[in-house]
Amino acid sequence: MKAIIVMSSKDNVGCAVEDIVAGDEVSYTVDGRTATFIAKDAVPFGFKAALQDIPAGGDIIKYKEVVGKAAMAIQTGECVHVHNVEGKRGRGDIPEVK
Amino acid sequence: MKFLGYIRADGSVGIRNYTLIMANGRGAANLAALVAKLVRGTRCFVQPNENGRDGEDRKTIARTMIGLARNANVGAVLIVGNKKDGGYPEFAYDAFVGEIAKCGKPMETVFMDSCGGFQQAVGLAMRKARQLAQKASECFRREVDLGALNMAVKCGYSDATSGMSGNPVVGELFDRLVQAGGRAMFAETTEVIGAEHLVVKRFADEAEGRKFLEAVARVEEEARSTGEDIRTINPIPANIQAGLTTLEEKSLGAIAKSGTSPIRGCVKYAEIPAGRGLYYMDSWMSSTALFLGFAASGSVLNIFQVGGGWFPDDAMMPTANTGLVTPTLFMTGSPRTFAKAHQEMDFSSGTVISEREPIAHAGERLLADVLQYASGRLTKGETMNVDDNIEVYLRGPGL
Repeated sequence: MKAIIVMSSKDNVGCAVEDIVAGDEVSYTVDGRTATFIAKDAVPFGFKAALQDIPAGGDIIKYKEVVGKAAMAIQTGECVHVHNVEGKRGRGDIPEVK
Repeated sequence: MKFLGYIRADGSVGIRNYTLIMANGRGAANLAALVAKLVRGTRCFVQPNENGRDGEDRKTIARTMIGLARNANVGAVLIVGNKKDGGYPEFAYDAFVGEIAKCGKPMETVFMDSCGGFQQAVGLAMRKARQLAQKASECFRREVDLGALNMAVKCGYSDATSGMSGNPVVGELFDRLVQAGGRAMFAETTEVIGAEHLVVKRFADEAEGRKFLEAVARVEEEARSTGEDIRTINPIPANIQAGLTTLEEKSLGAIAKSGTSPIRGCVKYAEIPAGRGLYYMDSWMSSTALFLGFAASGSVLNIFQVGGGWFPDDAMMPTANTGLVTPTLFMTGSPRTFAKAHQEMDFSSGTVISEREPIAHAGERLLADVLQYASGRLTKGETMNVDDNIEVYLRGPGL
């Protein structure tokens, strides 16, 4: 069993505090509730994993706040990083997405 | 809670006791640098060239230098120059030297045109600097309350630990410092984008909160005007390679370092706040510029809270002495970074992750260490004679 830290029960991503490889069972506790999922990707220390399925365009929530949007559909247990997430702020390359 | 500090004529309290040597214009910077090398216990600030800079940037350079001279870690000041007056108004004798003199610390000036030229000025400046160094040493450490301390924090080499186990521990320290009557400061305007709605609620004064939001809007507009995705600029590559994905995520982790106290005001780069309590400085995030700006605003101890997931093994700390007169305490909230760079790190709260140490407990440990560094213990960065590249945060064009 590998551990991730979830900052708030509103979050849909958690942060690995050890190196997770695909197929690992991952556990976290938030607000006294413990849940588990199977990692679909490698999630190295400090990287994020999806706690639930997130549709393309859906908000990525960490610290109870929006930290970006899914650039494609993301499944539970996938690594969540620059390959599947877009930032919403400070985008000089595209019209404002707020 | 007490520490041993240097009480200055204006009531401010320092934790180091340097003689600061500076030039009232870039033209005499070599003179300042030469004399600083010859005299013990000196710090020399080689300023950016004020020539061809707009008024706002010249004011920033002058404000930075006046602030450094007034910093309580400085026991005496020597100003050298080509002439007393004749340059831009920001560096005129009354505006520059006169402003520094107000803090009442031992101070001398040497101008080449009134002592016969450069080589004569070296001799005279050396003599005066040696006298000042001795004069500064006549100030002894005395016991003072924690509330006399002015501190500031920057986070850097951010990774996921920054928002989990590093910055929140600094927040805990700052809450205690502010409760004791001290002054704490945080900054980095790019890195509040995405978290500004949470920070603005904590401004005690509405007008100051507006200044803060205007600063964030200005920086986001500057980011957009590049025509680039901010993510190709900030988070920096080291952040992304350590697992941070967007600027918003970085910002939300970054603001944890401010703690929970009300924010008293939003100051400019290198501006000295009017009161005690928690302040925000509207500044660029670079560690080559920000620690200097903190020192000029009166911070006597800077914290560099690093994630460090990107660091190589046995890493050397970047920008170890960019506060110039203000030491940098390096800390990390990552157990892995502490293992990789323990020889350079002054403090670790990686135990929040590895041993589930409560944040409040780690904050208490950090406070105990801060009192030691404030009383004279050297930080690891201070044990090295590293002359870092230092920049002033200038925003205008070179003309």
